[in-house]
Amino acid sequence: MKAWHRYALGVIVGLAAGGGAAWQATGKGFDHGAISNGPWTTSLTYGTNSTDPLTRAAVARRGLLALPATETVYWAANKDSEGRPLDGSCSYAMTGPALDSRWWSVTFYDREGYLVANPANIWSFSGASIAPEEKGGWRVTIAPAKPASGHWLPSVKGQPFELTLRMYNPGPGFMKAPDKAVLPVLKREACA
Amino acid sequence: MKNWIGPAAIALLAGAAGWHSGLALSTYGLMEGAIRRLADGTGVNVMKYGALPTPANQPVVRPSPDLAYSSCPYDLSDGPVLVKVVPVPGRYSSLSIFNARTDVVFVRNDQQAKEKPFEVVIAREGQQVPAGKQVVRVGYDRGIALIRLLLNAPSDIKTLDPVRRQSSCHRI
Repeated sequence: MKAWHRYALGVIVGLAAGGGAAWQATGKGFDHGAISNGPWTTSLTYGTNSTDPLTRAAVARRGLLALPATETVYWAANKDSEGRPLDGSCSYAMTGPALDSRWWSVTFYDREGYLVANPANIWSFSGASIAPEEKGGWRVTIAPAKPASGHWLPSVKGQPFELTLRMYNPGPGFMKAPDKAVLPVLKREACA
Repeated sequence: MKNWIGPAAIALLAGAAGWHSGLALSTYGLMEGAIRRLADGTGVNVMKYGALPTPANQPVVRPSPDLAYSSCPYDLSDGPVLVKVVPVPGRYSSLSIFNARTDVVFVRNDQQAKEKPFEVVIAREGQQVPAGKQVVRVGYDRGIALIRLLLNAPSDIKTLDPVRRQSSCHRI
């Protein structure tokens, strides 16, 4: 093998490995420079020019057009509160109090970040759905089948999923310590 | 083996270049793809009042089904663009302006606007803009101005759609 062949091979292998590693890293989700709180992770630099290149590329791929944290905080969860991957064949109890923001919602996505068809045409649960008596504590069942009572966020049997919690205009108390804020708990109850 | 020391060093440098190029291509490429999808059928510098996100309607990844999105994919190569926003009283809405690098260069919500209509001119450095207008200078020709309008239920769109259609954008 001639010398220039070896150098050309080095360039090709290097570019392919570097580019492939970047693509793989951006597909992992929103764990870069993350703030963790239970099963939820976020960053307060989404959508800003202070974001590092990896986080910016990951958000472009998994959450393009995200607002900065002063406007909206986006929390992502792909595991339950005990660290097990969210599985559409299981049912979960998502519980929590009213959150410290002007408005909030939890949306169900597939692992690529897209809405998934379900017969009920329900893809999210928001604070607007909570009755006044539930302000101190609410519960949503995440499961393929509608529960006998209570709030329901449909999942798809057999399909892994992830959740995005959006907090619009988060309160100053929350912004002081988002890692210590009280966020919804995701408890797995049963699996088919 | 000595013959491979130089190529191995080059491979490491190329790997670093590939990493940074991959991140940049992902960022700018995905944004350009979104601009083109949102401009499909209407062109740039026009406000498109999107149908509510559903599994069958997701022009951009991770849409919120609780929001009505109106988008203006802009291109400043022929001049500045004026965005006019008409908020819905008592209802969360915001205008956010993204540049080609996906960064938000401007955001204003309904409360900050005191629920009143407002106008913003998006322009490159050096472009002439009308006197008295609020100007947002951006470092790239292309990007997206996005209006989010909160719906408490999908049926809200029937009454709110005429209001959101008062928001607009066009080249000046």
